[in-house]
Amino acid sequence: MVFKHIFTYRLKCLLRDHENIFWTLFFPLIMATLFNMAFSNLGSAETFKPVDIAVVNDEQYRQDKNFKSAVEKLSSGDDRLFNLSVVSREEADDMLKNNIIDGYIIAGWPIKLVVNQSGLNQNIIKSFTDNYMQTVSALNTILSKDPGKLQNLINEVESKVNYVKEVSHSNAEPDNILLYFYSLIAMACFYGGFFGMREVSDVQADISPVAARVNTAPVHKLKAFIYSSAASIIIHLAEMLILLAYLIFALKIDFGSKTAYVLLTTFIGSIAGFFFGAFVSAAVKKSEGVKVGVLVSATMICCFLAGMMYQDIKYIIERNMPALSYLNPVNLLTDAFYSLYYYDTFTRFFTDIAILTAFVAVFGSGTCLIIRRRKYASL
Amino acid sequence: MQVFKLCLKIIYKNKSLLLIYLVIFLSISSIMSLSAANDTGTVNSFEPAKTTVAFMDKDNTPLTNGFKDELAKVADFADIPDEMNALQDALYFRRISCIIRIPEGFSEQFMAGADVKLEKTSIPDSVNNVYIDLCIDKYFKTARLYVKNMDGITQQELVQYLKKDLSVTASTELKTEGNQIPGTTLSNNFFNYFSYSLLSIIILGMSTLMLIFNNHDLKMRNNCSPVSSASVNMQFILANLTFTFASWLIMVLLCFAINYKNSFNLNTVFYIISSFVFAFCCSGISFLIGNLVKSRDAISAVTNVVALGMSFISGVFVPQEFIGSPVLKIASFTPTYWYVKANNTIAKLTGFTFDAVKPVLYDLLIVIGFGLAFFSVSLAVRKRNRSST
Repeated sequence: MVFKHIFTYRLKCLLRDHENIFWTLFFPLIMATLFNMAFSNLGSAETFKPVDIAVVNDEQYRQDKNFKSAVEKLSSGDDRLFNLSVVSREEADDMLKNNIIDGYIIAGWPIKLVVNQSGLNQNIIKSFTDNYMQTVSALNTILSKDPGKLQNLINEVESKVNYVKEVSHSNAEPDNILLYFYSLIAMACFYGGFFGMREVSDVQADISPVAARVNTAPVHKLKAFIYSSAASIIIHLAEMLILLAYLIFALKIDFGSKTAYVLLTTFIGSIAGFFFGAFVSAAVKKSEGVKVGVLVSATMICCFLAGMMYQDIKYIIERNMPALSYLNPVNLLTDAFYSLYYYDTFTRFFTDIAILTAFVAVFGSGTCLIIRRRKYASL
Repeated sequence: MQVFKLCLKIIYKNKSLLLIYLVIFLSISSIMSLSAANDTGTVNSFEPAKTTVAFMDKDNTPLTNGFKDELAKVADFADIPDEMNALQDALYFRRISCIIRIPEGFSEQFMAGADVKLEKTSIPDSVNNVYIDLCIDKYFKTARLYVKNMDGITQQELVQYLKKDLSVTASTELKTEGNQIPGTTLSNNFFNYFSYSLLSIIILGMSTLMLIFNNHDLKMRNNCSPVSSASVNMQFILANLTFTFASWLIMVLLCFAINYKNSFNLNTVFYIISSFVFAFCCSGISFLIGNLVKSRDAISAVTNVVALGMSFISGVFVPQEFIGSPVLKIASFTPTYWYVKANNTIAKLTGFTFDAVKPVLYDLLIVIGFGLAFFSVSLAVRKRNRSST
């Protein structure tokens, strides 16, 4: 009966704390929306689009049938390399100046390429022109040894051979936008620390008036703490499920196919966040403002190191300071989601989860050790 | 000028808090803009673009070594252990653009004319992928011509021939228009991030001020003073603008400090003008928020949502060209979008004729319009609040 009483009233109390609900539920939801708006098109930056080129339509180009057909072949079809325009030299200059094309080609020997910067697209054009000239050079070498091979060679050049077999090491594409969302969930889990912090404040009689009242009740302190914490954890878990549902169903973020494990990770993350806040609150014996400051900055530093603001940080730390990446709970959580999505094996996932569980145990028992057996002579 | 003086006093009292935020925001924007600016410098000659690959040669023959030399012209080789997870991570974080693995016995079969393939793992549909494919194709297609047409050719001979052929290249001419000013990317990034820092700090400062003035008892006392409400409002706005101007000045000076080498040009003058216009607009936004927000707790919530929200969708954190057009449509209802757009145009300016500068001026006019609108709405809100007390 005591449990039911404490639990229900605590639930009501917490749900009416609008500020807490904002930071633990609405803020992550808003951030997820913003991430989605800003990042959804980011992948297109590295996607290949046919390179816009021009060829100068002079006498040489019209004469050089082989080159003409080579250019035209690469500029047709769905998987074409170029979007070709055949124009006069002046027009080509104009197009280059206005960035309509990445470069233009003048036929001849050597072939001449005019560009306005050395980017990847320009190098792709150069790769083509070089390739053409190199093939011609190879043909000349072979023909000089054995002129009879001409027909053979023409067939050979025309034939389509491919020397590359695409192999994939995993079922998932290396879509590197996802990590931002994974670290966002990790952040939201650790914002659950606000609940933990409040629970600890509300059970220590010298910190808040509510706690003073709670302490006068004939209920064991640990029980009171556990019962009301249960309410906090339930609320935070529900919030995390809402966030997860929003990410999966509304924003269509890919979490891979191992849904049960994703839920398990979120569950452990939420509890880890709660106890992290509780531990900070118990260990920092200062005013509310300072506690919030410590909690928020600790969480933000962990998030930064887990790559939430700049994801390469995660990789740099993983390569150079592997210990730090295992000691950062936010990174562990992010990494668990990442491993579930990207790896086919579970080794790294279970390592992450095991360490995370150890963190929960350390934070939980640490909190209890600090707040237990306090007696107050006067309040 | 009592109100004005009081405002400055309150701000002075809160200086430590505001300074902490100023330092935090400024260091974030400095780190971000520095990391985002991959300074290309001035280019005078055409250079091959290089991408990084992981290259695992299990065959190690003259043919594959020749291939490695050829690949080295377009790619750097990453030093990553041949472990599945390490390679996958490197690919995910774009440390490498692909993993190329030459299986054992590749050369032998290739020389025999068999249809062999090397294994490649890459980021699907990426530009780098196409680029590397072209290089692989080039080498082995040319090699195949020899294998098929010169009977009894050895690997060594083949590599010699290939070396000679592949050294033939097209001539390239690099045409640059005007002089692209080096370091202008850094200034551009910095002034774009500037919008986030400036907006946050001004909203914070102003709302701290307004909270005190909106205290019920204080408000009643002030309302019965013999100062006209128009005068109070004007002094308030003046204080707001002073605070804005001070924050703006600190940030501009910092930009000079970070990028002093490349700061003395006309582009910087335009950046400063546009940031000044934007600061005016921020002032209006903060005045409005200060009049709407009732509690201290809500301030940080509103600051974060407004400042982060506008920055995310308007191209501060992610360049505008990478943001989808529906998002940009929404963003165009915020002043940050126009400010960032003006900055991006300024970055590309090389000549400063009226025609070239016109789009920048249009964008800035829109930002001013936003600022004026925010101020007028705030005054209306204030009037309503006053009559309700």
